[in-house]
Amino acid sequence: MDDHAVLLEGVTRTYGKGATEVAALRQVSVGFRRGSFTAVMGPSGSGKSTLLQCASGLDRPDAGAVRVAGRDITRFGEKELATLRRDQVGVIFQAFNLVPSLTAWQNVILPSRLAGRRPDPARVRELLNRVGLAGREGHRPAQLSGGQQQRVAIARALLGRPEVLFADEPTGALDRGTGHEVLALLREAVDAFGQTVVMVTHDPEAAARADSVLFLTDGRIVDVLYRPSAEQIGARLGGRR
Amino acid sequence: MTLVLAWNNVRTNRTGLAASFVAVLLAVTLVGGNGLVVAGASTRDELHDIIGLLVLSALVSGFVSVFVVAGMLSMHVLRQRRTWALLRSVGMTPRQVRRLITVEALVVGVLASAAGCALAVPYAALMAALMRMAGLAPGGIPVEVTAVPFVLASVVGVAVTLPAARLAARKAVRVGPLEVLRESAAQRRLLPWPRAVAGVVALAGGVVLLWLVPELTPKDAVPTGLGATMALCVGASALGPVAMRLLGLLLGAVAAVLDPGAGMLAGSSVVTQPRRAMSAASPVMLTVALACTFMFAVATSDAAEGVTRSGPAAWAAPLLVGSAVVYTVISVLNATAMTMDERSEEIRLLRTVGTGPGQLVRMVCWETLIVTTAGALLGTGIAAASLAALGKALTGEAWFAYSLPQYAGLVVVCAVSGLAGGLVSTRGARRGALLADSQG
Repeated sequence: MDDHAVLLEGVTRTYGKGATEVAALRQVSVGFRRGSFTAVMGPSGSGKSTLLQCASGLDRPDAGAVRVAGRDITRFGEKELATLRRDQVGVIFQAFNLVPSLTAWQNVILPSRLAGRRPDPARVRELLNRVGLAGREGHRPAQLSGGQQQRVAIARALLGRPEVLFADEPTGALDRGTGHEVLALLREAVDAFGQTVVMVTHDPEAAARADSVLFLTDGRIVDVLYRPSAEQIGARLGGRR
Repeated sequence: MTLVLAWNNVRTNRTGLAASFVAVLLAVTLVGGNGLVVAGASTRDELHDIIGLLVLSALVSGFVSVFVVAGMLSMHVLRQRRTWALLRSVGMTPRQVRRLITVEALVVGVLASAAGCALAVPYAALMAALMRMAGLAPGGIPVEVTAVPFVLASVVGVAVTLPAARLAARKAVRVGPLEVLRESAAQRRLLPWPRAVAGVVALAGGVVLLWLVPELTPKDAVPTGLGATMALCVGASALGPVAMRLLGLLLGAVAAVLDPGAGMLAGSSVVTQPRRAMSAASPVMLTVALACTFMFAVATSDAAEGVTRSGPAAWAAPLLVGSAVVYTVISVLNATAMTMDERSEEIRLLRTVGTGPGQLVRMVCWETLIVTTAGALLGTGIAAASLAALGKALTGEAWFAYSLPQYAGLVVVCAVSGLAGGLVSTRGARRGALLADSQG
């Protein structure tokens, strides 16, 4: 087996039909190595969210293959996709990541419960402590701030030790300070647990926390920067505008 | 401007609107049709014996109609809180929002009443034919089209629709725009004090009636017992969220043991949103309480008089409340569909964290079963209290006759229609594309 957590091969995704047809992704091939932190950037409409959705199995590409741990998930049925989502792929959105009727604790253990497992309470507690939510286990999402909600979502994703963790603008709805804390957590997940993280963002400072940054334009990957600074990213983006 | 907005609103809220429309339409059909039957029967002397029963069943239908229409309309208005908040945040005044809601309710009320009046005539003819077959009115009931039932039904249609919508509008508008957008599903106060007071008053009224029933002559006892059931239903419905939370904890724990993932989700949803759950449980409670009281009161009084009915005649009492039952069963379906319909976002989220298709179906089923069971328990309690009081009036003992198959049939029908409403309304969210047309 190769050391890619996720591998996209010639992925194409088109929205609409006929005259209104828009190609969100054109023949994109890219691999995300195990234990790497990748940021995906690009102007709005460039296909960066579509890339994440196809790679995570939320959306089905029109052509091409998406391999998670070597298996092509584009052929998966609903049931296999459900298993994939609770065991191998974690997704964090900008907001509304938590089930409103469940407490922070219940939200974290939900995927395990759905899989019929009983997670080790000590490990759940440790994870919640690590993301800075000690003492808030019994709170419901409505009683938590936006940053706290994102941290619960990260803890939930990490509990299952997924093959890959996708984050779509995870700091988009947060203020700068809180956003930095969430990014630090994602970075820590990569460094401490060897977690693979793929993050879509439009914020150069957020992208600068990643190991590499992919740039998308019109559904194609046009550039890759390794360990860039926020300034380099800003200059790269500015040059395209 | 208001009209354009109202029209757009109508187009984007088809489920809720269709549910409200159907509720008003059937209410008007029921009230108008029963009115026509009673008016027809009162012209014949030989029907003198059953006229009391007919009036009583018409009253039950009327009560059910008002109850269901008011509940449905306020649900329809309140579930659009986000829309109202959005309109307010772009500069609409509370007054304008209220007017928008009123215009919509008026259009629904008038159109549905007109359609309901048209349907009332064939409905009355059908009921008359069924009663002849059951032997209640061997000579038939002449159904003539007279104005009074229609006027009455239309007035009920519009007079209930409008205030219900306006009252809900006032509540919906009182919440600040930001407050609504921020809360995703945070429960507001469990029991606002006007609701608590109304509930306690209605319950107290019901208890007083219960206490009076044994003192009355058998002739007056039955209507009074039904009145007690109605009052207790109003009270239980107002105080329902509290009872719902307790029953939700209890039944939810059972579901969570039987089915750890899906059952836990179902139980916690009922416990955190008891008001939403209660709006779906109310029609079940109403159906069970009223239908049981009516059917088994007739059975008890027959038993007290030593009358035994067999064949089609045994079904006379169920027949008389049958259409009211059909109506509440439809509203169980409606209410479940509406409470589940607003959960699409949550269901998609559950899918993204790996809830399988089968688990989603089981979650919806568990939740519906918890809600209908809670409603059935409350309804059974109310009916049993009224029937015991009635039994005391009729036979001197706190005893009443009942039919287990009829009771079980009633509860099963409620549960099945709730399940149908829940599963159909969540179908799109459970199976469709996981992402709403987002791209970037």
